[in-house]
Amino acid sequence: MNRKALICLILTETLFGLYGCPKKKPATPPQDLNVDTTTVQPTAPTAPATDVPEPVAPKVDDQVEDRLLSADLQVVNDELRRRGFAPDVYFQYDEASLSDETRDRLSKNADLLRNAPQLTLIIEGHADERGTNEYNLALGERRANAAKDYLTSLGVADSRLRTLSYGEERPVCTESEESCWAQNRRAHMVVTGRANS
Amino acid sequence: MTTRRFAALSLPLLALLGSALIRAQSPTSPPPSQPTAATPAPPSQPSEVTLELSRNQKAKIRLAIPKYAATGFTGAEGSAAGAELESTVRRDLDFSGYFEIQGPEQLSGLTLTGDLLRDRDVYRSTGNEVLLAGDLREDQGKVVFEGRLFDLKSGQSILAKRYRGSFATARRIGHTFADEVIRYLTGGAGFALSEIAYVSERGKIKEIWLMDYDGGNPRPLTGHRSTSMSPAWNLAGDGVAYTSFVNGPPGVYFAEVASGKKRPLVTSGSLNISPSFAPDGGRLAFSRSVGGNIEIFSSDTGGGNLRRLTQSAAIDTNPAWSPKGGTIAFTSSRAGNPQIYLMDEEGASQRRLTFEGSYNDGASWSPDGAEVAYATRRDGRFQIAVTNVVAQETRVLTSGPGENESPTFSPDGRKIAFTSRRSGTKQIYVIDAADGANVRQLTTAGSNDMADWSRPK
Repeated sequence: MNRKALICLILTETLFGLYGCPKKKPATPPQDLNVDTTTVQPTAPTAPATDVPEPVAPKVDDQVEDRLLSADLQVVNDELRRRGFAPDVYFQYDEASLSDETRDRLSKNADLLRNAPQLTLIIEGHADERGTNEYNLALGERRANAAKDYLTSLGVADSRLRTLSYGEERPVCTESEESCWAQNRRAHMVVTGRANS
Repeated sequence: MTTRRFAALSLPLLALLGSALIRAQSPTSPPPSQPTAATPAPPSQPSEVTLELSRNQKAKIRLAIPKYAATGFTGAEGSAAGAELESTVRRDLDFSGYFEIQGPEQLSGLTLTGDLLRDRDVYRSTGNEVLLAGDLREDQGKVVFEGRLFDLKSGQSILAKRYRGSFATARRIGHTFADEVIRYLTGGAGFALSEIAYVSERGKIKEIWLMDYDGGNPRPLTGHRSTSMSPAWNLAGDGVAYTSFVNGPPGVYFAEVASGKKRPLVTSGSLNISPSFAPDGGRLAFSRSVGGNIEIFSSDTGGGNLRRLTQSAAIDTNPAWSPKGGTIAFTSSRAGNPQIYLMDEEGASQRRLTFEGSYNDGASWSPDGAEVAYATRRDGRFQIAVTNVVAQETRVLTSGPGENESPTFSPDGRKIAFTSRRSGTKQIYVIDAADGANVRQLTTAGSNDMADWSRPK
């Protein structure tokens, strides 16, 4: 079963069939279904309530529907970012250690992820073009795992996080200069699905 | 004065080469009228010829190659095949570095009669020692090539070979004869029939490609439409292991050259990359992620029986199994930045090989196992360096800008192919392993990288 179908199935069960699976991804979450959000429960129990900080005050439309429950992963990722999730953290040249700024960003990410325990993520590790492709694949793996290890140390379940090193093979910026290299030395976090329990 | 002995190969020789489309024979003099005669008469020349060369061993053999005689060609296709065969032999011999060649251009000023016995003093008058005479014919839609070597001092024929094949085999016939000439005149194995596996990037896709050693005949080996890299020939030369993202996380795969069949070798976990075959063909070294820490492993060639060889907290990657076995070179950042290390096949006796340069990676062994080539960063730029593993002496073969990386030795150890961005895009070049001289560019289309030269056969 592919990921979309799986999500769709889970979602369908979650919403007791009230929320039909769209054939195409909607550009925005449907808001005209008048779904009563009070009946919507996430399938997975959340972490103990006493340990969980209150989420960011939701906007009005969030009270209509939690976009983090959308079937559209793009919507979920966009919503997470709107709430302060940092999709990228950056590294020094030939380094996989976390700076203070990176720890702050990952800490904020961990808060959001603990509050959305149904989400699973892939953490991509990237490197700039300097150095050899093969060494950079190893370096990207280290960076992705450094980010993953920090998130798990903050209470995000290890089983929700997968790493994938692209080394220097998927640059976001292709100029041969430091400002560009700095953007490529990153761990990139993307929601790719929902945990099955 | 040194004396070089040219040992004659046992003749006649009837060899089936590669595709069996090419038939090599040893014609006698004069050549028989039936080129397909299965049993040529024994050669009349002595089995050993001695040439005296009044200079040191490194001096080049002075070889005259007049334009080949061509007869019987009825169409453009045959003529083109003949011309390609002729130029292939010339380029192969030139590229080998063993010869100082006088071709048709240089010989045009000589007054020749066409009778070798009369002409040999004319050839010698401009310093030539050996004459290569070629004869091309078209016969029943095939190209027939007869190549001969004459010792100009004695006037004797010292090597004669005949090949017959389809027009499409012209390059291969040329490569085959060039290797015969090199083997006969130098005693060393030629590598004109060797191939290079490499990565070619077209669009955003990286596939594994193969080409002849001189850059000719480029052709894709994989069609994953993904990112594939780090090709590594097996010892038999009939298959290539490589890294690919074709199924998501980077894994180690294997492609058979003849059939094009692919199969996964090691794909469990989040990362398995940079394969290298052991010389006995029984095992494979690669690097693998263990909870985010990259370590060197070995496995059998089916990907089973994993054995962990390194244990450091730093990156250990890019293994290269030595051609004689027993040793694996690899890259480790355990000392703070990437450096080349050596260990035995079971992971014991790990020791650092490189101490100069702030970033050394991509070890590749010379075929005799005496040297390791790698990319080294000096003054902020990547260059190709070679270190002798016993004497630990290092020479740097390239200079200037261009990000020179990913070296691989030729099967005879006298050349190194590598990647450079000196022309703007990544392309594959070849230089002399001794001193970096005789630069030749092999690729031009797309972006090309990570050459791995097939091993000696």
